[in-house]
Amino acid sequence: MKRLVGVTLGILTAFGGFVDIGDLVANAVVGSRFGMSLAWVVVVGIIGICVFAEMSGRIAAVSQRPVFDLVRERMGPRAGLVNLGASFFINVLTLAAEIGGAALALELVTGLNYLLWVPPVALVAWLVMWRVKFDTMERVFGLAGLALVVFLVALWQLGPDWGALTTQLVRPPQDEGVPTYLYYAIALLGGAMTPYEVFFFSSGGVEEKWTRKDLVTARANVFVGFPLGGVLSLTIAACAATVFMPVAAEPDSLGQMVLPVAEGLGRIGLGVVILGVFAATFGATLETALSSGYSLSQYFGWQWGKYVAPGRAARFHVTVLASVIVATALILTTIDPIKVTEYSLVFSAAALPLTYLPVLMIANDPDYMGEKVNGRFSNLLGSFYMVLLLVVALAAIPLMLATKAGQ
Amino acid sequence: MISQARPALLALLTSLLLSACVSPAWDDHDYALKAGKTAESAVSAVRFARSAVAYRERITGPYAEVLLTEAVQDLSSVNDQFGGVQPPSDASDRIRDEVLRLTEKAESEVEDLLIQARRDGVKDPATALRDLDRLASELSDFAEKHR
Repeated sequence: MKRLVGVTLGILTAFGGFVDIGDLVANAVVGSRFGMSLAWVVVVGIIGICVFAEMSGRIAAVSQRPVFDLVRERMGPRAGLVNLGASFFINVLTLAAEIGGAALALELVTGLNYLLWVPPVALVAWLVMWRVKFDTMERVFGLAGLALVVFLVALWQLGPDWGALTTQLVRPPQDEGVPTYLYYAIALLGGAMTPYEVFFFSSGGVEEKWTRKDLVTARANVFVGFPLGGVLSLTIAACAATVFMPVAAEPDSLGQMVLPVAEGLGRIGLGVVILGVFAATFGATLETALSSGYSLSQYFGWQWGKYVAPGRAARFHVTVLASVIVATALILTTIDPIKVTEYSLVFSAAALPLTYLPVLMIANDPDYMGEKVNGRFSNLLGSFYMVLLLVVALAAIPLMLATKAGQ
Repeated sequence: MISQARPALLALLTSLLLSACVSPAWDDHDYALKAGKTAESAVSAVRFARSAVAYRERITGPYAEVLLTEAVQDLSSVNDQFGGVQPPSDASDRIRDEVLRLTEKAESEVEDLLIQARRDGVKDPATALRDLDRLASELSDFAEKHR
């Protein structure tokens, strides 16, 4: 019974914690401009993140070492450093976007400019990372993120034309060009397969001391929790397609993105969705900040993690604090957090092979994995995704330039 | 390793800067397309302002203010950006006057609504909705004509 509760709680946490600012922004913008015609990308992204998160969870459970710890050992310090540089840069950019997102959620409640909320959000996030236990922190914000299910209720309440939504699945709007369509496909994929999710998942497995016995829980989190999160992403896109697309409105702020819930469910719905957005972005703030500490510490072989006393993992905690300060400073320059999110999605997409190739290599190495090495199906899927991610990585920046970031 | 990473970093920064730039209009056709895009962006902002007024009873005051503030900022940015593009000929001047008349009117109307919302709420919501609908429709027609 206790195990069942643990698995259920893990699934719900993975579900509630799946959506972050990147998913919110990408799905709302795509839904308003392309309807449901890019839903297939979300499905491809969810399968991809499931494949690689399962591998990284398995690596953590079998070797009791997280992915980055093994990247340097397996790929050598030079290749590991390139990997670290790209991941760390994207992590800090994503962290800035998440801090901005949490501050924007508070602006919607209070009416006070989000810039005033940025320093308190960053300070509280650092305090939570410093003081609160890992599993408590993960559960509280993951479960609070479930409030975003309100998008599903709102969609039902809005009474969309289901036939039109279904038709959009196979018929992209004629007035959008192919490069713009592909640019947003890449942004959606970047949102669904954000690199920090894998670092956090595997490092979290080590923090929670996973062993081979925990593989069932890890797989349940990945194969049930993440797809449910994907359904939520599609619902956000469907809400945008229902409310914005018919009147040619394109949301470019968090306030505008939650409007369908306000229209469908009024003040209560608005309150719930803002809570969900805050939990999702604040939870992702913690995950990205910790991921910065994890990746750097694991590469350089420093003591890391929340399970050891801060005094014994000083460099890890300094890295986390420095990342939070840099990300906060970036948002305080008044750069639009939604723009930061959009760029971070595309750069994430460009760096995806760097993140996922080592995962595939290590999960396929019997020296590390023993009999828990990848099976044929995992290798087949993993190899297919590596080719896909390589194409995406090569196309991401040229498409961003050609479409002027999707304009 | 650092010297190898430099070109990549430079390329990254350049790409960021380039993607954020407003490019000049090369000819009348290009200018008209830019004017059409400007009208499209303005329609979007006007629609959000309309939602803030239409659903004022169902949403909170701070949220309505945020929606209206963002609509004003979007319209102001649209005006600034398009206003900065040099029209290549006299024919383009006419297009410029036409689109800026509409977008500047939209900015002014939404700004008035924001001021009212910050005081005691929108005074005459029915008229405000009618005006915003008319503006959105005129802007849509313009955007359609210059697509």
